[in-house]
Amino acid sequence: MTPLADRISGSSIALLGAAAFFYGSKLPPVPGQQVGPSAFPMVVGAGLILCGGLIVFGIGRHFEEVAEADVAEHSAPELLEPVPAWRNWLALVPPLLLCFYALASETLGFLITAAIMVFVASTAFGAKPKLSVPLALIAPFCVNLIFLKLLRVPLPNGLLPFPW
Amino acid sequence: MNTIIQAFGLVFAPDVMIAIIASAFYGLIVGSLPGLSATMATALLVPVTFYLSPIAAVATIITASAMAIFSGDIPGCLLRIPGTPASAAYTDEAYAMTRKGQAETALGICLWFSALGGIAGTLSLMILAPALAEIALSFSTYENFWLAMLGLMCATLVARSSPIKAIASMLLGLLITCIGIDNPGGVARFTLGSTDLLGGIEPIPALVGVFALAEVMRALTEREPPKLEHRRLGSILKGQIELTKQYPKQQIRGNIIGIIIGVLPGAGADMAAWVSYAMAKRFSKTPEKFGTGHPEGLIEAGASNNASLASGWVPALLFGIPGDTITAIAIGVLYMKGLNPGPTLFTDQASSMYALYIIFILGNIIMIPLGIIMIRLASRIVGAPRSAVMPVIMVFCAVGAFATAGNNLFAVWCVAFFGAFGYLMEKNGYPVAAMVLGIVMGTMVEQSFVTSLIKSDGSLLPFFDRPVSSVLAAMTFAALLWPVFSWTMQRLRRQRVAAA
Repeated sequence: MTPLADRISGSSIALLGAAAFFYGSKLPPVPGQQVGPSAFPMVVGAGLILCGGLIVFGIGRHFEEVAEADVAEHSAPELLEPVPAWRNWLALVPPLLLCFYALASETLGFLITAAIMVFVASTAFGAKPKLSVPLALIAPFCVNLIFLKLLRVPLPNGLLPFPW
Repeated sequence: MNTIIQAFGLVFAPDVMIAIIASAFYGLIVGSLPGLSATMATALLVPVTFYLSPIAAVATIITASAMAIFSGDIPGCLLRIPGTPASAAYTDEAYAMTRKGQAETALGICLWFSALGGIAGTLSLMILAPALAEIALSFSTYENFWLAMLGLMCATLVARSSPIKAIASMLLGLLITCIGIDNPGGVARFTLGSTDLLGGIEPIPALVGVFALAEVMRALTEREPPKLEHRRLGSILKGQIELTKQYPKQQIRGNIIGIIIGVLPGAGADMAAWVSYAMAKRFSKTPEKFGTGHPEGLIEAGASNNASLASGWVPALLFGIPGDTITAIAIGVLYMKGLNPGPTLFTDQASSMYALYIIFILGNIIMIPLGIIMIRLASRIVGAPRSAVMPVIMVFCAVGAFATAGNNLFAVWCVAFFGAFGYLMEKNGYPVAAMVLGIVMGTMVEQSFVTSLIKSDGSLLPFFDRPVSSVLAAMTFAALLWPVFSWTMQRLRRQRVAAA
């Protein structure tokens, strides 16, 4: 039986492929030419449909099991112990913080935005305030210094401009 | 001769030397921190290379990646946790040596044979690349198309995962390059009405997302590695000459395997180490000693992973096909710096190519003294808490992508998306390296595919007409069918064993 995750990911890939194929087929051709911008997305889309279908049916799963067993054999046993399920949700923190940066950096400025990001991420990694607070104060300042003075990239000033 | 003197002049310019030394320390530190790979070190360097001269930019990538691959062995030896995936194959062997009280020998083997492997890889680059460039000059779009296809298929073939998932990842990468107006008709494709998507997805933010941000995400879900205790170490290089004399075959075989795997698109140092360690065990006279702290496997795999680094540049420089994930990033930097990959690079910019060889050799030579310093400082650096390192890396991901995209916040969204996407892919067994290859090569593949089809008036026959293109096509199909063949053979063997 194919694992549930493979059935979900395989069918998503097949659906994406179908969408790409359909969308590609609707693209306008280049006048006077047989082949235009639709050819490549259609070929790729068809390939994705085929691969998605094969993944749903568990074809090629055997190779994955061999590789997993190989890694498990060479790893320290304590590293292979499963972590509590809630820790998996922590993985969402970095991309969400980057979205926060994209939304807030223009208004708040780099120093404040980055300080919040560093503090939250550091706390998510389990740091105590005696590490995360000084880190949140110093790290953005250093990053700003490197980018502004060394690489000459101005970062958004927002509410708190860089002092130099 | 003039070109060589010019090349030395380029390398020994003050800015290049500073870049080499700084990136060497950077690579050594990042590589030695468990969970941070050499590819991540390279991806985070890209924004910095943006502001350097072309040679200094290439020098930082070469030096940082070579150092990171070696220093990944340090926590492997001392903590049994590989610093980079390239050290994973022989981590327990190295740790077993440490437990036997031979930590210096294990670290010395990693350092010494890494440096020698790196130099062997550079020699292969110096010999192979110009020779292949001569042949590549006669290639038409058909050959270029099949070469790109072969590159993409190789990447799926060597992925340590299901080949179907690897092909799906690669196709996803190709689909991503369809976004935007950079296509044969100049039509806006898959832009969903967004003006930001008109220019397409830039490879650099995508690479920073899948290689750097996804690693920060993974680290959040994994346990903190144990603290490294301070340990008094004796002479690191003591006994290495004897080992070199004792195991010449292992070293040479490791170098050759590393070089071959490096040249194969998409397969890098980690794959080279896995294959070489398995080879060392397979051909050893004392295979029972493997896993108990025996130097043979360590020598072969250590020589192999660093050799693959330089040879990975062969397809990258000649055809713009990445030999591994590090060169996938390097190709982006080469384009950015006007050193567009292609066979003409070796005639038009010969001095830059010689400079590249010199940097490789120099990087591998300075690896020995700097590596010894790093090993001595390991207990202080490897123990750096992840809660302090990872948040700073995350900020670098955001600001670096922002800076390379010309201060455009869209790049930050891209990093966030590709970080999450790359993490999900890895969790479900989809190799991200294959997707990256698709992203880097997509535009080139489409261009050669569509131009060839237009030239042939829609017919597929001319794709197989020319001798070189038919050979490349046959190799591509063989690569595609290889997993089926290997699976059938394994099944038959199992049936035969069961019957017996």
